[in-house]
Amino acid sequence: NSPAPLPERAIYGFALFLGSWFGFILYLIWAYIPETWLFSLGLTYWPQKYWAVALPVYLLVAVGIGYILLFGINMMSTAPLSSVHTITDNYAKKQQQKKFQEEAIPALRDIPISEVNRMFFLPEQ
Amino acid sequence: MAEERRFRSASGAPIALRRRQHSASCRDLAVRGPRLQLRSLSAATSAVWLAAYGLFALSENSMVLSAAIFITLIGLIIYLHFVKIDQESLLVIGSLGIQVTSSYASGKESTTFIEMSQVKDVVINEAIHMQKVIYYLCILLQDPDDPQGVSEVVPLFQSSKPRLDCLIEVYKSCQEILEQRKTAPQSS
Repeated sequence: NSPAPLPERAIYGFALFLGSWFGFILYLIWAYIPETWLFSLGLTYWPQKYWAVALPVYLLVAVGIGYILLFGINMMSTAPLSSVHTITDNYAKKQQQKKFQEEAIPALRDIPISEVNRMFFLPEQ
Repeated sequence: MAEERRFRSASGAPIALRRRQHSASCRDLAVRGPRLQLRSLSAATSAVWLAAYGLFALSENSMVLSAAIFITLIGLIIYLHFVKIDQESLLVIGSLGIQVTSSYASGKESTTFIEMSQVKDVVINEAIHMQKVIYYLCILLQDPDDPQGVSEVVPLFQSSKPRLDCLIEVYKSCQEILEQRKTAPQSS
């Protein structure tokens, strides 16, 4: 799964490059060439030119709203102050206590909030 | 024995903490926020009335002015009765429980009582609140099925939001009383 260049990847890239240029030229033709010229060529069933302007506008407005929407979704998913998820979660509840060994570094674990508070805010003990 | 000390809230407003010790196992802690200021009241009233006068100048409808007066009066009454909390207090009785009281500016008081057997601990927790990380004091309620588990978190001092120095004082006072129930003999 390395990002190194491969012959298949080169072919995909070139095909995408040609395809995107073709799509862009087609879009320019659709947007700028008058309808009557297109009819005379026999291309009568293309979408209305209204959409050549409307679709880019829709896209830009969607991007702008996406900024605000992401901000709002973040705010909505933040746990409220009364939620028990600010204290603990499933992994902390199910953790196993390893045996205490002398002279060894204690095992990593999630320390309960009461203990942390006592350590920080009651310095006499 | 009562003492009062000045602190600041999370947003910078001045608040005062008053501690009273009624007995060895009963303590009363009250946090008082600033009263409604005359300048903010006049600013809000002038803004609403200027906007209403602007609408009246545009629309020539005099009902806009009377509506503005009504809105100001009713809005002020709703604000004082439902929104503006003057004092939040915590009464910790070692053998009985914890009572949380909020007094509104209109005189209304709303209280909540939590029995001591339901209280696991009173801790200072930090959490994200409106693009800030704040410290707040909360009561952890015991889960009846699991002795180590927490069933609910009750945040305290929600409207005055004291800063960490004030919270540490309240925390130490509460812990002195809560420790007594571990050393005191259990009476069934």
